Parts: sequence; C-alpha cells; structure tokens
Amino acid sequence: MLQVLLFASLRERAGWSERSLSWSSDYATPRAVWDRLELGSLQGISIAVNQELVDADQPLQAGDELAFLPPFTGG
Amino acid sequence: MGLIQVEIRLAGFDPWQELGQWAGHSAAVAVFVGRVRSTAMDGRPLQALELEHYPGLCERQINRMAVQLQRKHAAGAMLVVHRVGRLLPGEPIVLVAVQADRRGAAQRCSAALLEQLKHQAPFWKREWCADQGTWLKENTSL
Repeated sequence: MLQVLLFASLRERAGWSERSLSWSSDYATPRAVWDRLELGSLQGISIAVNQELVDADQPLQAGDELAFLPPFTGG
Repeated sequence: MGLIQVEIRLAGFDPWQELGQWAGHSAAVAVFVGRVRSTAMDGRPLQALELEHYPGLCERQINRMAVQLQRKHAAGAMLVVHRVGRLLPGEPIVLVAVQADRRGAAQRCSAALLEQLKHQAPFWKREWCADQGTWLKENTSL
C-alpha cells in the first residue's frame, strides 16, 4: 500500500484528503503518483515521504506515506 | 546551547504569559509576536483566519531550523509557539523568542527563524470573509 495525503487547497481541489493506493511499480516516484492523480502542475508543490521533504524523483517503497503540500503560508 | 521549545497549539495563547513562564536569564532576548490582521489580503474585513498544518513534519521542520540557526548565531534558548485552527482578528498566531549573549545574535536569529518558519514549515492559511474561505497563495511581504 501507499498512503497519499493532500493538504489545504490541494485537498479541496481533489475532494479528498487521504487515499490508500495498492502498491504497484507504476508508483515508483512521487512524480509518477502525482501524474496519475491529475491535479494539475507539480510546480510549487512540496513533497514529503514518511514526513521528510524530498524531491519529486525520490524512489518510493510500499508502505510509504506520501504527502503533496501546496506553498507554505504560516507564521 | 539552550533549550529549543516548539509548540503547535489548537487553543488560543497569551504570548506574554508564555514568556513569563519561559526559563533563562540571557543578557539579550528578542521577541516577535504575530497577530491576525483585521483585513484580508484583498482589503475586505476579515471574519476569521484558519490555519492548518501537517502534524509531525511541521514540528520537526521547525526544530531542525531552530537547531541550525541556534548554532549559526551562537544563540541560547529558543521558543516558538504557533497557533492552528480558526483564529479571530487580533488573536496571536505566532510567538518567536530567542535568547543570546548579545542583541545582534538574538535579533538576527529570531528574524531568520521567523522567515524560515513562514516559508519552510508546512502551515497553510485560509482567510474567511463573508462566510467564504480563500486559501492564501503566498505570505505577506517582509
């Protein structure tokens, strides 16, 4: 399984916050998962795998928690 | 090196009370308090500000930034309190406080931590005006 999380504006755009995907080699990287979600451009989106910020081509493994994060606006 | 304390709060907080309970007796202390504005980015009256975060990653990111900046500026104890949830205009959003031996180190470290917090920690703001919510696309300018 691959756990995918969306936050804030991305969650509202997609209409879901969390989804479990059956593990497949089609989900080799965050970029590959993103392309299948059909949520627009990946530009400006940060990516976290198992709660560490990574780049879009970091290899994924079964059991990973993958989060797509819109631009941060805290503070 | 002093203690680094990072807290994300769902309930409102009083920054002055937090500072009163904060330990340390360094010669210099820099403090920043951020509050919710009364107007939205587009100038309309703001009803409320909603703040969301990614629990776990958010606290770790802030801790990581604080450790690096503490080392870089030879700072002492650091305190970060950040609200999440629904906030009303005037309510405190963030408290950043840094102790050091000198004012320069305390002020520079505090300013750098606040900027990193705004741009590198997973928080998101949504402005509510007339019962309509708008996610902010970027932070306010310095």
